[in-house]
Amino acid sequence: MADIETLGIVDEIQTLVSDKLQVVSYKWLSRNFLVSSDSAKRLLQEFVEKHGNGLEVVYSLSGWLKDSPSTYHIKLVSSANLAEAKKEFSDNCSVQVYSVQACIPKDPVALWNAEFVQAEELFRQSLSVDNCLLDNRFCGVSNPFIKRNGGGTIPSTTAVPQVKTEALGLRKSNSTAQVQPEQKKVQLPSPSASVPSSHVVDPKSESRGSSGPGQGSKLVADKDKVAQLPAAKKAVQSDKSSKNGGALANMWGRVPTKPKADNVSAATSDATPNTFGNAAQICAMEGVEDRISDDDDQQVSIRRTSNGEGNRKRRVIFDFSDEEDEFKDAVNLASPDLPKQKSISGSKQTPSSPELQKQEDKNAKEAGSKSHEQERKPLPISEPKKSKLYSSEIISEHASIKNAALKDEVADAAPISPKRRKVLKTRVDERGREGLLEQS
Amino acid sequence: MEVDSENNLFQRKQSLYQSLDESFGIQKEVYRGQQYSQIYFARLHLMRTLLYSLVPNWKSHLPVCTILGLEEGKECIIVGTLYKYMKLKPSILDEYSKERSASPLVQRHNFMHPDDNLVLEDESGRVKLSGCLLLPSKYVTGIIIALHGKETSAGDFLVDDILEAGLPQQIERPIQLGEDKYVVFISGLSVGRSSSNPLQFQLFVDHITGHLGDEKEQNIAAQIVQVVIAGNSVEVPHGLLNGQNLGSKDQSRLFEPIKELDILLTQIAASIPLDIMPGSSDPANFSLPQQPLHRCLFPGSSAYNTFRSCTNPHCFELDNIRFLGTSGQNIDDLGKYSEANNNVEFMERTLRWRHLAPTAPNTLGCYPFTDRDPFYVETCPHVYFVGNQDKYESSLIKGSEGQMVRLICIPRFAETGVAVVVESHGANRYALC
Repeated sequence: MADIETLGIVDEIQTLVSDKLQVVSYKWLSRNFLVSSDSAKRLLQEFVEKHGNGLEVVYSLSGWLKDSPSTYHIKLVSSANLAEAKKEFSDNCSVQVYSVQACIPKDPVALWNAEFVQAEELFRQSLSVDNCLLDNRFCGVSNPFIKRNGGGTIPSTTAVPQVKTEALGLRKSNSTAQVQPEQKKVQLPSPSASVPSSHVVDPKSESRGSSGPGQGSKLVADKDKVAQLPAAKKAVQSDKSSKNGGALANMWGRVPTKPKADNVSAATSDATPNTFGNAAQICAMEGVEDRISDDDDQQVSIRRTSNGEGNRKRRVIFDFSDEEDEFKDAVNLASPDLPKQKSISGSKQTPSSPELQKQEDKNAKEAGSKSHEQERKPLPISEPKKSKLYSSEIISEHASIKNAALKDEVADAAPISPKRRKVLKTRVDERGREGLLEQS
Repeated sequence: MEVDSENNLFQRKQSLYQSLDESFGIQKEVYRGQQYSQIYFARLHLMRTLLYSLVPNWKSHLPVCTILGLEEGKECIIVGTLYKYMKLKPSILDEYSKERSASPLVQRHNFMHPDDNLVLEDESGRVKLSGCLLLPSKYVTGIIIALHGKETSAGDFLVDDILEAGLPQQIERPIQLGEDKYVVFISGLSVGRSSSNPLQFQLFVDHITGHLGDEKEQNIAAQIVQVVIAGNSVEVPHGLLNGQNLGSKDQSRLFEPIKELDILLTQIAASIPLDIMPGSSDPANFSLPQQPLHRCLFPGSSAYNTFRSCTNPHCFELDNIRFLGTSGQNIDDLGKYSEANNNVEFMERTLRWRHLAPTAPNTLGCYPFTDRDPFYVETCPHVYFVGNQDKYESSLIKGSEGQMVRLICIPRFAETGVAVVVESHGANRYALC
């Protein structure tokens, strides 16, 4: 199995590097394909041995320096300078492939960029979602004592698979078994129900009396049910609700105060039955507030818009690889829906085929709003670096479209020149966004 | 799926951490318009008691007098606060004076002048110090010392000998168990500066978190038990802050560096215990002791139990090894008002004076404490570090009672790419990118 996987990844690298001119660093590889850093380095090594011709390889050299023995030096060198650089080091330095790319970028920051954008993407995921950035699971050194109060217990390397399967199990029961989840489903506060514009067809969420716009009351109702749930799931749940509140706030755009208040009440009411998730929820809440305040400061930079698109597409890749995982676990959802939206697909519960179409629609919509949310987030990379890389990034983004569900939307978005997008944002801003939401 | 790698994972070493920052916190203090006299008084009172206790061992035959009680020609010991009269010390009044002073109002890196002289004062009065033993270039305002000498006919005090407080007592170093544990110090990350290279920091992060390198390197990384970031982690664009309300676009520009830092710190905190101290360019209060950076600035990394936001003079113990350090303001200020061959020498002086920041509150911003002087060094650290220096320096000093202190100047990472890794027992190395 491993071999097959390896082959697949090596092919993937080939296309990424030579066709899309992307810098593939070992960390990017490890996060993207969910392999450990070490195996990612091995993969790259293999790749270089097999298809290395015509590509530039950057090696990381590290070891003690010859002329000052108390200095541990880490250096990135291109393959041309490798032999020379080795001389600086005392005998046994480690040489490993750091990244593979079509050409050596002038600015070394370019090596870092793809990786950072990816890290940012992972970072942006809500606090209770485990991902490889937040638990550092792919490194070579484990530290089981580290706890994150975001998502309850976590991230020792050994614990990760369990957490994951738990999450999967949760989802499995939601999506496949119809009868059982009666109480389980309660924990997912059907985000669609609280987004006012989405026409929910789900009888269950309606039966919970959540069809009205009175979000607060609904949450109170939720709270009772929530109280019985185990902590970890709780955290997920609360996070979902807050996230969904963020989306809500985004939709209402200009009147952020009210949804914010709702959010606060949501988080606090959720927190009451459970003491130890408290801080996390506050954190989550703050995250939401951030998002809301970001909402106020519409940034009109071209770069950012393009990045938002990038995120959307990158997310697609991600989902793709995740999907493979699920195949292994034999949880086929029959629709290429996004794993990150577990809550949505779970709560909507539409197993019958005619409904599927609708669900897909909704997913697309949700994705739309989500990517919007991301668009608005500022990128903490200083501008000059970014703009330098801009063109190449766009190229790589174009290429990474994979998911059928989003394809047309992406295709729509991609060819829009950044300038046009800018106009849209500055002028129609609120309207424009809402329009886009409804379109998709 | 990643089972293969799990077999040969290194386990990160652990150590017992104890924070000793309480004295640097500003919690119960109330500002009632108090001036700085009280902190000087507290300092004088505290250190004079200490020096008095040392005098019998030093020169027991000599009488101790106050400055007012000095008699011409009589040898005695006086204890008081030094004040350094400096011709070039910038004064706001100079800018408004009618006749321009002879010295030009230029920015200099150092305000030293050959005519500088020292004055010693206590509650009773002040006396000008003379004699070639006491070099004005070495001392600064705010130090408490004991002097042996006699008053001359000119009314000066001729100094024959000097007694400094010396290194304080040190808690006993635990017996080494043969286990190597390392602490990483890094400062001056300056995330968000246009000239800084984020790849460098990323490599550093990858190294210490155990992503980079082969097994040997990861084994080294696994021995790192603590990361300390000694100030100046971000560089927010100050041009934006002009007293006006910020536009929404500018707000996000202001916030971007902090968010980038948070993402990188998250990667560290997910792997190693992390202390972050505020520095002069960080979004913290200006005056010492700087209070911890607010957790809300780091929504991602502050979720970890390994993340600690600390005060600026920062003191902690790891496995009963005591660490003390600042983000560099105290040493930078000493460099402006006194001279030394290198920064390690400044550091050594502050330890021997038993005071982290003697120039506070004279030329260094400081909270007007009323009842205590938090910068007094009560217990000698084993490792004393100062962030944001020009280059890496290190030395080992020994005290009279067998104290051993490792002094470390941590260079600015954004400029030099050097972080300092200190073994808790002395040997050290530094990592370059």
